[in-house]
Amino acid sequence: MAELIFDGDGFLTNPEVWNESVAEEIARQDGIEMTENHWAIVRIIRNNYEEKGNAPMIRTICKATGLKLKDIYELFPLGPARGACRVAGLPKPDGCV
Amino acid sequence: MEHLTEEQINKAIKLLKMRPDSKLESHLNACVHCGLCAESCMYYRAMKQDAFIPAYKVNLVASLYRRYCTLTGRVLPFLVHAKELDDKMASEMIDSLFGACTMCGRCVKHCSIGVDIAYIVHFGRRMLAAMGLVPHSLQQTVDTALQTGNNMGIPTEEFVDTIQWMEEELQDELGAEAHIPLNEENKNIIYTLNPREPKFFPLSIAAMAKIFYAANESWTISTNMYDVTNYGLFNGNNQQAGEIAKRLHDEVIAKKCKILVLGECGHGSRANRWEAPNYLQHRYEFETITAVELINQYIREKRIKINKTLNNELVTLHDPCNLVRNGGLLNELRFTVKNCVSNFVEMTPHGMDNFCCGGGGGQLAMSEYNERRIAIGKIKADQIKQTGAKVVVTPCHNCVDQLMQLNSIYKLNVKIKTIAEIVADAIVIP
Amino acid sequence: MQWYQYVSLGAFIVCFVALLGHFLRLLKHGNPKDLSEKSGNIPKAELYAYTTAMLPNQKESAYMHIPSYASGILFHCSTFICFLLFVIFFFVQPDLFPATLTWILVAIVFVGSICGFGLFLKRFFSRKLRGLSHIDDFLSNAITTLFQLATVSFLLSHYFAVFYYIVVSLLFLYMPVGKLRHVVYFFAARWHLGFFYGWRNSWPPQNNKK
Repeated sequence: MAELIFDGDGFLTNPEVWNESVAEEIARQDGIEMTENHWAIVRIIRNNYEEKGNAPMIRTICKATGLKLKDIYELFPLGPARGACRVAGLPKPDGCV
Repeated sequence: MEHLTEEQINKAIKLLKMRPDSKLESHLNACVHCGLCAESCMYYRAMKQDAFIPAYKVNLVASLYRRYCTLTGRVLPFLVHAKELDDKMASEMIDSLFGACTMCGRCVKHCSIGVDIAYIVHFGRRMLAAMGLVPHSLQQTVDTALQTGNNMGIPTEEFVDTIQWMEEELQDELGAEAHIPLNEENKNIIYTLNPREPKFFPLSIAAMAKIFYAANESWTISTNMYDVTNYGLFNGNNQQAGEIAKRLHDEVIAKKCKILVLGECGHGSRANRWEAPNYLQHRYEFETITAVELINQYIREKRIKINKTLNNELVTLHDPCNLVRNGGLLNELRFTVKNCVSNFVEMTPHGMDNFCCGGGGGQLAMSEYNERRIAIGKIKADQIKQTGAKVVVTPCHNCVDQLMQLNSIYKLNVKIKTIAEIVADAIVIP
Repeated sequence: MQWYQYVSLGAFIVCFVALLGHFLRLLKHGNPKDLSEKSGNIPKAELYAYTTAMLPNQKESAYMHIPSYASGILFHCSTFICFLLFVIFFFVQPDLFPATLTWILVAIVFVGSICGFGLFLKRFFSRKLRGLSHIDDFLSNAITTLFQLATVSFLLSHYFAVFYYIVVSLLFLYMPVGKLRHVVYFFAARWHLGFFYGWRNSWPPQNNKK
């Protein structure tokens, strides 16, 4: 497995090495046990990143997974950015996150 | 870091010599190195490193000032610690001024002299920006804002889609007349957001829309320019800060609105309310107020009806530095919160003496200094723990994000809300 | 007047003109022009900046550091008394002072100089402070402490007149060079701080109204 390089904030700086076991590893750091719902969110984020190069809107995540906002915040207590995007192996989004 | 070129150095020194008023030289000459500011700084308190003492940060810029701008410094540099701007100096400045200061200004109020340390730190950042030495992650946030019109690079269609979604949620709660009006002209208010809201945390948009609905306000959001943030305040590049500020200014004029209302964002409020007219070198033609002041007005004028028993949990308030110490909204903020919650407790200390969340001054954007941000955040986390509060409210999305992280790392078990959210929870629609 | 008095007078004039130069330059450069809409009251804020905001209960640099703060205040008070005495000595020689007054002054100024020396030692021995200190900081403290000791000696005996006036002259000549200039810049910095907080209505602080 390629070496994982994290930035100071714990986001992957080499997102291309990401795979599902990496996701599980990062989730474990945040104390998250990955369930089917977690995976659904992470896959949407990952696909969006691979297609468009950035994190999807929370709107897109809700639509694609059928989950409610509240559920997503509960599944990833650090929020969609620091929580879900990090697990999905994205680099740190810009802005106040 | 690569070697500094002569050109880079000259640009920074030029800035230092170009003092348009007496403020900078007053503050640079006033520090007496008493060192009593150390304990007022979160960085020093948390990590006890000498380089984190505010006076040390002042000294970096002041030693350059003495070297290049004073006779004693030129003739007897060893006597007054006058220093050349070289590679070592520049890297120390990057580490201290970008990496170890949230520009919260807490040390300023407690300085035995009254040196505006945060102002000097910002000036040091301007010198670094002139040399192109802004930390990558911070500069990237500014670049994204300049290139895409918002600091998270949200495409307009996706923004509109999110707003419509929030409008539907609002209508489910309040009925079909509730709207989030986009791109309308001649309204009383043009409202702005932190892009973090539409991107990841849109409930605060719905909450503010509910307040506007309850107050029967005439308002709009522009899809061209709704971003209240301006990281140009932090990267030290006043020209870029001006460019970002001008977009929002021009959009208010284009939409012919009377009042620009700044969404819940500490630095964005500061940048647009206090700094922007100076970046652009002209007075604003319209009124600029923060969401906190607006909600405060609604409550005072009884334009919205509040039942504070709807918020029963114990609530504490985090004062964003740029709204309270550096923005004068201490009373407005407390009036609003105390009118909307039935159990309120202050942090110790609070108000003018409050500690920063730890994520200010661009720290939240700079991954390079993440460990320090979390270390100083412990001070805030301990403050919150001591209150025993179940809810922390704060009118700043930057603070919210830092608090969310502190909540998880330091196991605070609190809910973190914006002012609009806590007010919306207490609103009674007749 | 003796030659050494002329020397000290000359040094005083040099010092005064140089510091006045600093002050006039600040005036010439003026206040920042703020184009944002003012929210507070500048005169009230300035008054607050120079009065209540300086009280020890308002500043951590005071209430968290009582020994240093108290030493600093006594050192400064004593310095200003010594400046006043310098002027008075031109009209009334110290041997003409009533004995009680002499002993009161000696006591105050001596305590001041002890405080000054204490701060010198603190600067030297505290690791935290030593890193912040320049040669100028030590020299400025030393010359001021010496000035106070010279004042004490001159109060006690005319024998120290030459010593006193030489020290005074050195102090005056050094003042515009190093950090002792803060006698001007302290007031300027507080002015700007009062202006900044006043413009934004952070100062004077208002009580929490319900």
